[in-house]
Amino acid sequence: MSDKPKVKVATVWLGGCSGCHMSFLDLDERLIDLFKLIELTASPISDLKEIPAVDVGIVEGAVCNDENEHVLRTLRKQCQVLIALGDCAITGNVPALRNQKVLTEVLDRGYVETESTHAGEVPNEVVPTLCQKVRPIQEFVKVDAHIPGCPPDADAIWYALTELLAGRQPKWDATNVRYD
Amino acid sequence: MNKITLTIDGKQCTGTAGQTILEIAHANGIAIPTLCYMKNLSPWGGCRMCIVEIGGSPKAVPSCATPATDGSTVVTQNDRLTHLRKLTLELLFSERNHICPICPMNKGDCDLQQNGYKFGIDAIRYPYLYPTLPVDLTGKFLGLDHNRCILCTRCVRTCDEVEGVHTLDIGNRGVKNQIVVDLNTTFGTSTTCTNCGACVSACPTGALFDKNAAFHGPLTKCRQVRTTCTECAVGCGLVVYTKENRIVDVFGDNDSPVNHGHLCSRGRYETWAVKRNRITTPLVRKNGQLVPVSWDEALQTIRKETGKMLTQNKGLLVSGKLTNEVAGTLAHLQSQVGHIGMYVAEHEAALCSEPVFTGDAFQRITDADAIIVLGAEPSRLQGVVAARIRTAVRKRGAKLVILNARTSDLDSYADIVAHVVSVERAFWKRVGETLQGAQRPVLLYGPNAMTPLGITAMEKLIKLFENGNGPAVVGIPTTTNALALAGAGIAAVDNVAQWLTSGPLRAVHIVAADETDGGAKILRDREVVGLLKGFNYVVVQAAYESRLTELAQVVLPSLVWSEKSGTVTNFEGRELLLRPVMPPRGQARDDKMILESVFA
Repeated sequence: MSDKPKVKVATVWLGGCSGCHMSFLDLDERLIDLFKLIELTASPISDLKEIPAVDVGIVEGAVCNDENEHVLRTLRKQCQVLIALGDCAITGNVPALRNQKVLTEVLDRGYVETESTHAGEVPNEVVPTLCQKVRPIQEFVKVDAHIPGCPPDADAIWYALTELLAGRQPKWDATNVRYD
Repeated sequence: MNKITLTIDGKQCTGTAGQTILEIAHANGIAIPTLCYMKNLSPWGGCRMCIVEIGGSPKAVPSCATPATDGSTVVTQNDRLTHLRKLTLELLFSERNHICPICPMNKGDCDLQQNGYKFGIDAIRYPYLYPTLPVDLTGKFLGLDHNRCILCTRCVRTCDEVEGVHTLDIGNRGVKNQIVVDLNTTFGTSTTCTNCGACVSACPTGALFDKNAAFHGPLTKCRQVRTTCTECAVGCGLVVYTKENRIVDVFGDNDSPVNHGHLCSRGRYETWAVKRNRITTPLVRKNGQLVPVSWDEALQTIRKETGKMLTQNKGLLVSGKLTNEVAGTLAHLQSQVGHIGMYVAEHEAALCSEPVFTGDAFQRITDADAIIVLGAEPSRLQGVVAARIRTAVRKRGAKLVILNARTSDLDSYADIVAHVVSVERAFWKRVGETLQGAQRPVLLYGPNAMTPLGITAMEKLIKLFENGNGPAVVGIPTTTNALALAGAGIAAVDNVAQWLTSGPLRAVHIVAADETDGGAKILRDREVVGLLKGFNYVVVQAAYESRLTELAQVVLPSLVWSEKSGTVTNFEGRELLLRPVMPPRGQARDDKMILESVFA
């Protein structure tokens, strides 16, 4: 075992399908090697939900509501290096499809007009308030590295993380970048 | 032609004066990234991916639209150009809603995505605009999603310069620029769109797509087979994309000497994107119903019923879509079947005995300064020929005279249209004046030129050119392989009722092959229905169910175009190869094989 202290990592799941986190778990046995170098703190796949001060923050998903924005800004404050994981965080992607509609239409479709809903109404408490438009995270905070893909392959995640852990910026080209 | 020499990326390159920098670079093996550029279309210079630096000038210029100059020094790759190209791509990605995971061109078919990968674009530094844009799914075969459009105008230029109808154009101004169909209508209501699909082939993104091909997987992962379209006598080259023995899409073959990649809606879509009921097993009528049976039982039934009939009581009527190989078999059957005929379009039998034009008819039409269409209807029957005529008229100012009984979409491009050919002097004087001085005239005639009036008109037309350059006289049959089958000695029959009653026929075997209407066209003459009902025995060999198969006692399943091999001969006398794209469906068999087993 190396004496080097482990790199502390926190991951968050904003407006997305969790596919990027699933793809992260697809690292399979490489996770063992990875966890020799990192310590996972707060994450949707761990029990810790309050984000402590960490070295690396990883973000899946776009900013769709005020809670997403709050979590994103908190993570940015708590981390040294912020990584956007997947197309939703980078471009808005599928969650941003609703940007073509006015927000009230979107809410009505979800809470009132749904085929299985009887006398539904748009909730106005407990749940976070939706933003007018879904936006990628770099429109809110500084992002230090991107891992594109919907979801990114485990190989792309492995490449980007190992490069970053080695102190290098990942270099994307036709051999390793995908938007799907 | 003046030779010029220039240095591109340190390499000495030669070309001819007038060529663009991009053309010379590509010809010399130097790759320059492009998006709006397309070979054989006029340059647009809109996307700025192909920018290069020319020695001595601080400006980056689009190489697709800049003529090369002798002695100049060009740089196509450096950090500044890469930086500018990346900015261009980022602007394109941020402008509309390019959501790759939900696009039919995802995973390899999109030039924008491929360029994004090539330049390693991992994030866009501009704020996304997320505009609200419509999707037009009203077209019969085409879909148009403005969210994915980058306004490269490849579709607009293809529609204008290749198909020649100019259905598509750019509407609105500035950031609201949008592709419009006709005067901002939809594909479903367009009056000019011919559904040729050339715009889809030209689109670099998923903005224009084939509705039937969308979301069936990337074409880059499909199997590709080159074959020949057998829907008409033109014989266009096809590239068929298949996956798991299913057709995903059909495009024109750019390497075909006939159509050079262009297709009409019949070849591009009608053969596979329209649902038809396929016959997959032999059928025998039992108690009034057609029942699926084995090949052995079907063949035995036919032999039992017709085996003892005299030769002159048996007739064989075949489609003109059959291959040259089947024609060979038919010639051998003459001794066993009293009457062998090939059904063709009205007045087409006479056309089959006319001399065949040999040469590059398409090139002649392209180069023509006067085109006469006599008794033919290319816009309905041979769309690719119509496209050439339209572009000759619109782009090169060729005169067009149309003499045909029916109105057609081509009429609006013509200098003179006559539905009833007049014999009066004033009319022919006007035709003469229109065609006067033509250096490279083409006379394209179809079956309807074989009427007495048509022949008179043809004679008058030929006479007009007596003192100048005579026209290239090109006969274009309606029936795919009629010329070759007639040449092999099969009598062309344009009056089926007369043929059925001309001899002591008692049983008739009709080979409709893969006619898309199942051979029902011969029933257009109502008399034929009655005559067929009166026969002792009717066998129909066809790929699709139709009113004709309903009249049969035995139905035998033929192969369709995508399962056939063999050759056909087109209207220019070119022998063209059919390659099987997929294995036969069900128990369908090759027409040649069926005929050999029925008449063995």
